[in-house]
Amino acid sequence: MTSTRLALEHVTYHYPATAAPALADVSLELHGGEVVGVIGSVGAGASTLLLVAAELAPRVLGGTRSGAVRCDGRSALLLPTPWTQVSGMAVSVWDEVAFGPANLGWPRDRISSAVDRALTRVDVAQLRDRDPGTLSGGELQRVILAGILAMEPEVLLLDEPTAELDPAGARFVWDLLRALARAGTAVLVATSDLDALPGAADRVVWLAGGRVRAAGAARVVLGDAALWSDDGPGSTSAAGAWRLAGLPTPLPLTVADVLARLP
Amino acid sequence: MRFTLLGTVILTAAPFWLFLFLLHGVTGMVATGLRLTTMIASFLWLGAALPPPRLVEAMVAAGWPVTAAFLLSATLSAVPKLRERAVRIADAQRCRGLRTRGGPLVRLAALRAIALPLVLSALHEVDERALALETRGLAHGVRRTPLAPPPDRPVERLARWGLLVACVAALVWRFA
Repeated sequence: MTSTRLALEHVTYHYPATAAPALADVSLELHGGEVVGVIGSVGAGASTLLLVAAELAPRVLGGTRSGAVRCDGRSALLLPTPWTQVSGMAVSVWDEVAFGPANLGWPRDRISSAVDRALTRVDVAQLRDRDPGTLSGGELQRVILAGILAMEPEVLLLDEPTAELDPAGARFVWDLLRALARAGTAVLVATSDLDALPGAADRVVWLAGGRVRAAGAARVVLGDAALWSDDGPGSTSAAGAWRLAGLPTPLPLTVADVLARLP
Repeated sequence: MRFTLLGTVILTAAPFWLFLFLLHGVTGMVATGLRLTTMIASFLWLGAALPPPRLVEAMVAAGWPVTAAFLLSATLSAVPKLRERAVRIADAQRCRGLRTRGGPLVRLAALRAIALPLVLSALHEVDERALALETRGLAHGVRRTPLAPPPDRPVERLARWGLLVACVAALVWRFA
């Protein structure tokens, strides 16, 4: 783990024309080389946290923010719906992935190598000549992710990156995020794929009502019984099954944990 | 139903010719209608011949800001995209029992059931698309690198300058 890449200090954010804050007094540090998961029920503020971290709120969305956001390096945000992120200015997947790097004004050689590397890394090199409009949701999700990675961000922000993917595709993306973190990228990911977090995230932040309800090591936060309260998102499937069976705490988080605990 | 470029030009220009005839008679209709039809045909021909992504590349290579090029491209591609979306919404509404075929009243009721989600979903998408374009560096303030702009031969550049000079000369001749 390296230096602090992203820091939110006592951030409170209101969307335009709303009285209640979407985020309230949120502080968070993200370091290079770590994956931090953001979890919470619907409306807890996880997506808003990413928009504020990407400095799109309030700059693009409007509203008001107090507190400070500091980002050391280039950040890029993957939004949850891939079809709204298509540039509309590309006739091929290669062009689509090159859209971001071209906007950064890079020389063509650098764009070309960054795009080829991103396509290979996300395992969509075979789609390079396809029209983006003909891709399935899962293919498009990967292509948009490749477009974000091609911009070589130091801070990678992802909102439900596995929403459109099948289980194998989701596992691929989680492995990719770990590999990116090993290479020094700081990764902040909002997800409802809680089963993936024990293996993929170093730390987890639990948001409830726009506030940080708990933050810490992934296994500690995901093992917190309070996650099963009314405003909690629950935890992993293994923990849920263990809890339903009325077995003693601490809750196991993965199938491997369950097997290790069974007599 | 698919129209040829010529058919689209005629269909677009026809109402103007009708109004011009009612307002100015045959002479005025022909004089102004031909100019209007030329403008419409030029615009539609540009849209049909050059895919919007290529237009953006050409404009960026010619030194236009990428945001201006994107705005023009998005305008040109808005109608086909809205048409695709309307077809999807109509299919979805039919799956939920909406009748879209029948008399004028039935079609009018169907239109309302399609237009409202069409407009609302388009407005919703505008916000998300703005965020996505922003995070992918569109408004980064840096000059975009043109990836594969259409070739711009010296003879084409010369022809453009020639047309510009001809326009200025025509204006001078007209108002002198």
